[in-house]
Parts: sequence; C-alpha cells; structure tokens
Amino acid sequence: MTAITQIDITGIAGRLAHPFRKYGHVFAVGLQSALVYRWNFVIRVGFSLLHLAAVGVLWGAAYAGREHIGGFSFRETMGYFLMLIVANYLISAFNEDYQIGEEIRGGTINQFLTKPIDYYAYRLTLFFASRLVTGVIVLIPVVLLLPLLGDYLPSGLAPWQWAAAVPAFFLAAIIQFSIAFCFGLLAFWFLEIQGFVILSMAVETLLSGQVFPLDLLPDTIYRISQYLPFYYQAYFPVALISGRIESAAEAQMGLIIQSAWVLAFLAFGRLLWRCGLRRHTAVGG
Amino acid sequence: MSLLAYLRIWLASIRYSVVRTMMFRFDFILWVLVDGAWMGVNLLLIEVMFRHVDAIAGWGKAEMILLVGTAMLVMRLFMTFFLTNLFSVDRLVREGMLDFYLAQPGNPLFMLSTRRIDLDGFVNTVVAVGIVAYAVHQLGIRPGWAQIGLYGLMVLAGLIIHYATVVAIVSLAFWITRIQGIEGGYWAIFDLSRLPRPALRGVMEFVFVYLFPAVIVSNFPAETILHGPHLGHLLWLLGAALGWFAFAVGLFHLGLRRYSSASS
Repeated sequence: MTAITQIDITGIAGRLAHPFRKYGHVFAVGLQSALVYRWNFVIRVGFSLLHLAAVGVLWGAAYAGREHIGGFSFRETMGYFLMLIVANYLISAFNEDYQIGEEIRGGTINQFLTKPIDYYAYRLTLFFASRLVTGVIVLIPVVLLLPLLGDYLPSGLAPWQWAAAVPAFFLAAIIQFSIAFCFGLLAFWFLEIQGFVILSMAVETLLSGQVFPLDLLPDTIYRISQYLPFYYQAYFPVALISGRIESAAEAQMGLIIQSAWVLAFLAFGRLLWRCGLRRHTAVGG
Repeated sequence: MSLLAYLRIWLASIRYSVVRTMMFRFDFILWVLVDGAWMGVNLLLIEVMFRHVDAIAGWGKAEMILLVGTAMLVMRLFMTFFLTNLFSVDRLVREGMLDFYLAQPGNPLFMLSTRRIDLDGFVNTVVAVGIVAYAVHQLGIRPGWAQIGLYGLMVLAGLIIHYATVVAIVSLAFWITRIQGIEGGYWAIFDLSRLPRPALRGVMEFVFVYLFPAVIVSNFPAETILHGPHLGHLLWLLGAALGWFAFAVGLFHLGLRRYSSASS
C-alpha cells in the first residue's frame, strides 16, 4: 500500500515537474535567441534615451516658470517618463505579433499542432525570456547614467506602493503579450496584419500613457480610460512606482480591474486560437 | 541617361504604384488610417499640454500646431516618395538582390529610391498641409506668396535632409549587414523636429541645431510663416541639405564598393 502511494506521488510529482522542464527548455532557447539580437536592443535603448532627452526638452520648456503641471513637479514627470522607458523594456511586446503572424503565414506553426505543447504558453515563455534580456540591457545605461538620472528615480514610496507595483508589472506584461498574441492570430484571417498592429499601436501608445501621463487628461476621459485595458498595459504600474497613484484603495481597485482584463484576454486569445485553427490548412511534408 | 529619361522612369514607377495601390484598396485605406492615427497622437499631445500651460519656449498653441504640422509635412513627403524604398536596402544587400538595380542602365541610388511611391503617405501629406493651413488660420496671419514660396523651398530642403539621413543610415548595411535597430534612429532623430528651437540648450542645441539639422528642418519653415523671410535661415537650411546630401551619396557609393553580390 505504502509502495503504491509512493509510486503515485512520484508520478504526480513527475507530471507536475514535466511542464516546468519543458517550458524551462523553451525559456533557455528564448534567452539564447534574444542574446543574438543584443546589439539591436542596445541600439534601441540608445534611441529610447534620445527620445527621453527630447521629452525632457519639451517638458522642461513647458515647466519654465512654473512649479507644477497637473499637480506634479518636473522631477516627478521626468521620473514617470524614465520609469516608462525602463518598463517598456521589461514588459512590452516588441514584435511578438509579427513573429506569430509569420509562423501562421509561413506554416511553421504546424509543428506545434502535432506536439504536446501549448502555443500560448510557448510564446509567453519566449516573451519572458526576451524581456529578461532587454530588461537587463536597459538597466545598464540607467545605472551608468545614474549621476544624471538619479534625481528622477522613484524615492520615498510607501511599502504598499511597492507591493502593488510588483503584481501590476507582471499583469501588465501578460496584457501586453496577450494583445500581441491576439493580433498575431489575425494572420489566420488576413494575409497582412502589420496595418492592424501599427494602428492598434497608435491607440495603445496614447491610452497607455506613453505620450503624456494620463492624469493630465480631462477628468471624465481619465476616468473612462481607467476601465480600458490600455491603462493597465503600462500607465498603471508606472504610475504606481512613480508616485502618481497615491491611494491604496485606488491601487487595489486597479489590480482587480487589471486581473479582470488578463482573464478576458486569456479567454479571447483561446477563442481566437480555436476559431483560427478551424480555418487553418496545413500543406506540405 | 538624360534628366528627362530619369523623369520618365520615375513617372512610370508612380503609375505602377498607383495601379498596384488600387488593386489593394483595403490595405491603402488601412494605412491612411494608421498614419492618420499617429498624426492625431502628436496633435493630442499639444492639446493636452496646452490645457495646462500657455506657451512652450515662447511658442503658443497655434504656433506649436504650425511647427508640428510642418514636421509632419516633411516626414509625410519623405514617406510618400522614399521611405519604403530606402528601408528595403539592407534586405537587398543581405540577400544579394541589389544586383538587379546595379544592372539597370541608370544611377543605382536613383533606381533604388524611386522604385515605388506610397499613396497613403501622399493622402497624409495633404492632411499635413491642412493642419498647417489650420494653424495659419488660427494665428490670423496672411502669408504672402513670397513667404509661401520660401516655405515650400525650405520644406523641400527638409525633404533632402530626411532623404540624406536615411541614405546614410541604410548605407551602413554594406558594413554591418543587419541594420534593423538602426532604422529606428530615423524616427528618434526626427522626433526632435517637433520641438521649438528655443527649447534646446547646451549639448542638445549644439548637436541637433548646429551639427545635425534635425530641429531646423521644421523650425525654419515655420518661422518663415510666422516672422517673414530670413535669408540667413534659408542659406543655412539649403547649405545643410546640400552638405548632408553629398555626404550621404558619398557614403552610399563607398559602401557600394564593398558589395559583393549574394555573398555580401
């Protein structure tokens, strides 16, 4: 009896460990392939810092002769934009939608249909591996430029702000990836998806607070934006860590809405995948 | 080849592009909307900032719309005629497809640059002109024909600067083959053309006003409409355009010597 129980436990443990091993390998492959493009990422970070300098010039000129805009100082606003750039390299989807679309269009997706691997989980694992590499790469210039940028880094945050920011960043990454995943799946229906992707990127850029902090919008529009998924793609975690969300209740409500959007995108992605597969035709050997 | 022959080739490419675009009408409309949405994002930034401030580096809201509209106009002209053609150079070099252009009886850079035009960029060029006209109307000024002519000339000089910048960037493909990340530099650099010149100080002013003309491509034409013609600005912009054009063409031909077909 004891022996049988022992065997069962080993079997269950093995079955549980199996996915971790499987996706662990995928993660390792993802790290390697992201490292191949390390110089592309370094160049990209360089241009992001140039963009940050342009943002600094524009907002510096806007702040001339005034202490606050929308209740925040120049230092706080620049802190927001600096954190936004770091967040982009830690949690943003870069070209995952394009890669997924290409796999569908080129037929290489067929290999995943015959293997015991979940395509969403596979792609998500690659995404996390790639963001680990880009996240480390973006931190290098930030650390090197600490004498220049140190003033803008978050300071004096309450423990609850840090505690809320960690899950908020994680959930934001899943929302970003899931949106990219859904757009990639459009390749089941359309030959060319880049137009949809870039159109959506314009909306996402605006409503996720990449162009200006969303709290500078008129109050009603800002309130509406809080119920949209874009708010939780980047603005929410960055606003938490740069001190723009000052109430724990607001952070708590934000995390609830963010989790709901994650579930909604997971379900929608699954639905698109199933519908897409029904249309998909695999040809060749 | 005579100048007329080049013009004929370009017109034939334009005709081909128009026919091709009309075959993919949904795609055309989608890309007009895509770029239109990005233009809207830039205008919304001004709208939101001016809800909180009265001026940015001495420029009022309508003046900023004029500046951003001018920056958009130059960029959309570049997108219409050259962007797609030039951004494919690194792929052509990598795959050895450049042979096709080198074998043609004309200047290879011309052949590469004028292969097709993007009609969606042309539609948004018209939108950008509309934005400039709206800003001028808001400012309540009536620029004379000389001012408008000079504005047009400066926009053309700006177009040459955009062209030269991207030719220089893509020429790097002859040395480093894969330039994917570097292409993004075009957007990052000309992001600066939406900034009013007095806002830049120190190193930023030295680099992006005096050394590389990213800021003046939009500021000088806009200032011509706002304050009238300025001979110094005109000469500065034309000189910068010619200088950067010569540098970019030189760099392209230097790189071309390294090109060794499919094995490149």
